[in-house]
Amino acid sequence: MSEEEWLRQDRLPHIFCAGCGNGTVINCTLSAVEQIGWKKQDTVFVSGIGCSSRAPGYIAADSLHTTHGRALAFATGIKLANPALNVVVFTGDGDLAAIGGNHFIHACRRNIDITVVCMNNMIYGMTGGQGSPTTPAGGLSTTTPYGSEEPAFDLCVLASAAGANYVARWTSYHVRELTRAILTGLETPGFSFIESLVQCPTNYGRRNRFKQVTDQIEYFRSHTILVEKAGRMKEKGEEVPAGMILSGEFVRRNRPALGVRQ
Amino acid sequence: MRLQIDEHRCKGCNLCTLVCPYRIFKPGKQANRRGVVIPELDRPERCANCRLRNLYGRTLCGTCQMICPDQAISWVEEDAHVPKKVAIEY
Repeated sequence: MSEEEWLRQDRLPHIFCAGCGNGTVINCTLSAVEQIGWKKQDTVFVSGIGCSSRAPGYIAADSLHTTHGRALAFATGIKLANPALNVVVFTGDGDLAAIGGNHFIHACRRNIDITVVCMNNMIYGMTGGQGSPTTPAGGLSTTTPYGSEEPAFDLCVLASAAGANYVARWTSYHVRELTRAILTGLETPGFSFIESLVQCPTNYGRRNRFKQVTDQIEYFRSHTILVEKAGRMKEKGEEVPAGMILSGEFVRRNRPALGVRQ
Repeated sequence: MRLQIDEHRCKGCNLCTLVCPYRIFKPGKQANRRGVVIPELDRPERCANCRLRNLYGRTLCGTCQMICPDQAISWVEEDAHVPKKVAIEY
């Protein structure tokens, strides 16, 4: 089976804007699912509300499009009702960090055996570009027209502290690494959290000096630094340049997981 | 194998022009019927995946296909090469 067979052909082309990174993350996830060899009938894709949460609608497996922020709660229910199912959650930053923040930390604490792919576009894209908890300081949006003054959430550090078994962050430029991280997340028993920074040319890029889609991808390419490298730089006493995005594997551990097949 | 862009799916974001190591994708110039400027292919036979996929039995580079947000890039099997007989008249 190829990745193309996982897509609902009659639904394509999808409604994402030109250059939206969500499509790239769908490709990477399907490639990872393809590599691990899951069957369509044992796989469930769950999502909440938002741009990113339209993703399961384009995948030809069982999918659940739930209420805003509650994707993890529904996914927990699915996994506990039938632990034989493989559950993948697509979620956005507004869905996961803002309205579903409490579900997120408790899913990490319970360490339930699901894989969460967070497409973090740093803004509420679908509703017109309001600032989200992950809008970086200084980022312009319709609700922060003079630049966001609040510090942003670091979702990976939050998930690590709350107890997830596997935590990684990549961007939509790093397609190979992202696929590998999602594959590791699918293989890991327990809660796996993969954050992917994606470009939002319509609502984030347009307001933040990324006029072209490729500008923001170039930014991701030049402003990411591996976690290991940042750690080495700190050990040597060097400063990690400000504004760099830490990417790579944050945590891989083996805490007892909930809902693992016996 | 032959590289092709699905004109119905492509939205003209030009991400493929950024990632291809051979720079096969060039930004297009003419908008099509739907108003989308689809990238042009510059000598697509240079693509490593086109040449060597069947020999190695796996996808070799495939970065453009992975990064394409619209799932528009794919490879199709080419028709078998039929040698033509050329009659040379003296």
